[in-house]
Amino acid sequence: MGKQLSIFMENKPGKINRITGILQKEEINLKAMTIADSGTFGIVKIMTDNNKKAFNVLKKDNFLVSYQDVVVVEIQDRVGAFHYVAKILEDEKINIEDAYGFIIEADKKAVLILKVAEPKKVETLLKKQGYKLIEDF
Amino acid sequence: MFFDKDIETISVEKLRAIQKEKLGETLKNALKSKYYKNIFKQQGINPEIKKIRDIEKIPFTTKEDLRKSYPAGMVAVPFESLVRMHASSGTTGKSTFIFHTKKDLENWSTLVVRGLYAVGIRKTDVFQNMMSYGLFTGGIGLHYGAEKLGALVVPAGSGNTKKQIELLLDMHTTVIHITPSYLFYLSHVIEDEEKIPLSRFSLRMAVIGAEPHSEETRRKLEKLFKIKVFNCYGLSEMNGPGVAFECEYQNGLHIWEDHYYAEIINPKTGKVLQDGEEGELVLTTLQREGMPIIRYRTRDITKIMKGRCPCGRTHRKIARIKGRTDDMFIVKGVNIFPSQIETVLMQTHEVDKNYRIVIDRKDGLDNLTVEVEVKKGFFDGELSHLTAIQEKLADMMKNTILVKPSIKLVEPGSLPSSTGKSQRVQDKRRV
Repeated sequence: MGKQLSIFMENKPGKINRITGILQKEEINLKAMTIADSGTFGIVKIMTDNNKKAFNVLKKDNFLVSYQDVVVVEIQDRVGAFHYVAKILEDEKINIEDAYGFIIEADKKAVLILKVAEPKKVETLLKKQGYKLIEDF
Repeated sequence: MFFDKDIETISVEKLRAIQKEKLGETLKNALKSKYYKNIFKQQGINPEIKKIRDIEKIPFTTKEDLRKSYPAGMVAVPFESLVRMHASSGTTGKSTFIFHTKKDLENWSTLVVRGLYAVGIRKTDVFQNMMSYGLFTGGIGLHYGAEKLGALVVPAGSGNTKKQIELLLDMHTTVIHITPSYLFYLSHVIEDEEKIPLSRFSLRMAVIGAEPHSEETRRKLEKLFKIKVFNCYGLSEMNGPGVAFECEYQNGLHIWEDHYYAEIINPKTGKVLQDGEEGELVLTTLQREGMPIIRYRTRDITKIMKGRCPCGRTHRKIARIKGRTDDMFIVKGVNIFPSQIETVLMQTHEVDKNYRIVIDRKDGLDNLTVEVEVKKGFFDGELSHLTAIQEKLADMMKNTILVKPSIKLVEPGSLPSSTGKSQRVQDKRRV
C-alpha cells in the first residue's frame, strides 16, 4: 500500500518553509505537495522519496504528522492517462476523495496519487488492468 | 481529624466574638500606619466598633491603594519588628510589597498546617514543593507550613521537570504542591516523553493553587495521576496560600475566620451580599501585626457557602474561585469567565488543555475566538475530522457561555503552557 504524510499546519507565513527546510537538511526528496485548507489551518500532504524518514524527522521536530494509506499508481505522461484510471474507478462506482500527481520522466512516466475509501480494493483493481503500483519510495 | 480542634470547631458565637475583638485590635493597629491614619482622618472614621458589621463603614482597600502606598505605607510596626517581605506577582501591574513580623509568619504557617492536616497530610509524608520560591508567596508559604506539620519537605521549586521527576522517584514523594497547569505538563512529560509507569511513583496527593481552575480540571488531574487533588486558596496581600483550604470533603474551602473577616460584595456597587450570593471576595486581616489590611478587594469571584460542613469545622467555606473580576470579560453583553471555557475543554478528548481566548471587534461586533491545541494522538490527517471538532467545541461552548465562539485549532505546544500563572485572555478591543 502506498503512503502519504499529512501534516497539520496553521495558516501562517513561513510554515511550509519549515517543512521544506527540514526535508532539505535531511536530504529527503520532496516529490509532491498539496494543501487542503480550512481558513485558519490546513493539512499539508506530501509524498517523498523516503516517507518513513520524513515522518520521523517531522515528528521529532514536533509537527503533528500522520501516515495515510493512498493508492500510488504509475501512469504514462501523455494525454488521457489520468482519464483511463478515473474511468476504471467510475465503472466500479469508486469515489476519488483527493488526487494529485507528479512527473517522473517528462513525456514518459508520471505518478498519480489517489485518496479513496478502500485503497486495497483499488490497488487490486488497477493491478488487474496492468498498472504498476508503488508501495513506498 | 484536626490540627487544632478547639479553634477549628469552635462555636459560631465564639468565633464571631473573636472576630469582633480582633477586628477592634486591627483597626487600632492600622491607625499606626501612614496609609490608614490618613484614610481614617480624611473620612472621619472612628476605629471603635460596636458590632462587627460596623466594618462596612470603612472604605475598601484596593490593589491601587497598595500601589499608592508603595513600598511600605501600610506598615504599622517599627521597621526593626519586620522580618520578611514578599511581593505580589505583578501580573496586573507593578508589584506590591507585603511585610511580616515574626508573629505574622508563625500565624501564617499555623493556618497552612490546619489546611494540610485537614486534607490528610501527616508527619510521615514526603512533601515536594514544586511552587516557585522567592518573592512569590506560593513556595515559601507552604514550605514552612509543611515543615511545621513535620512532613519531610523537598524544596524543589518550580521548573526543571526532569529533575522533579527524579526527586519524585528517589525521594518517594507522597504529596506535591503545584499549579494545575504545571501538573498537566508534568503528566505529559512522565507519560509521553519519559514513558515512566505511574506505578513507580509513591504519589498519593497533590495540593494545587495559584491559578483559578474548574472542578473538571481537578477531576481530570485526579484521574491522570490516580491521586487525590485538593484546592488551596490565598493571595500575597493576605499572606499567601493557606487563607482558605479544602477539607476531606472537597466541597468548598474553609476560610480561617479567626484570622480573616470575609465579605462578598457586588463588584460594581460595593454592596455587601448575603451568604450564598456570588460576588467579589473582600478580606480583612484580623491578627496581622506588621501590615494590617482592611477590606481588601481580592478581585476573586466566589460566594460564601451556606450550611455546615460535615467535617465539623465551623469556619465558613467559600466556593471554588470562579474567576477574577479582571479575568471576566464581556462579549456581546454576556459575562464570561475563562474557567467556563476550560470546563468545556476538559470534557473534550480531541484537544489539549492549553487554550487562549482572543476577543476583537470587527464592524462594531465582538468576535470571540478560542484557540486550542489539537491532541497529538488524535490527528489522523483528515481535514473533515478537524472541522467536526471545531463545530462540536463551538456548540458545547455556546451551551455554556451563550455566545458561539470561533474555534481555532493550533499545533500542539504552540500555546503558552506555564509553570506559573498563565495568561489566557487577550482582549484586543481595548488595545
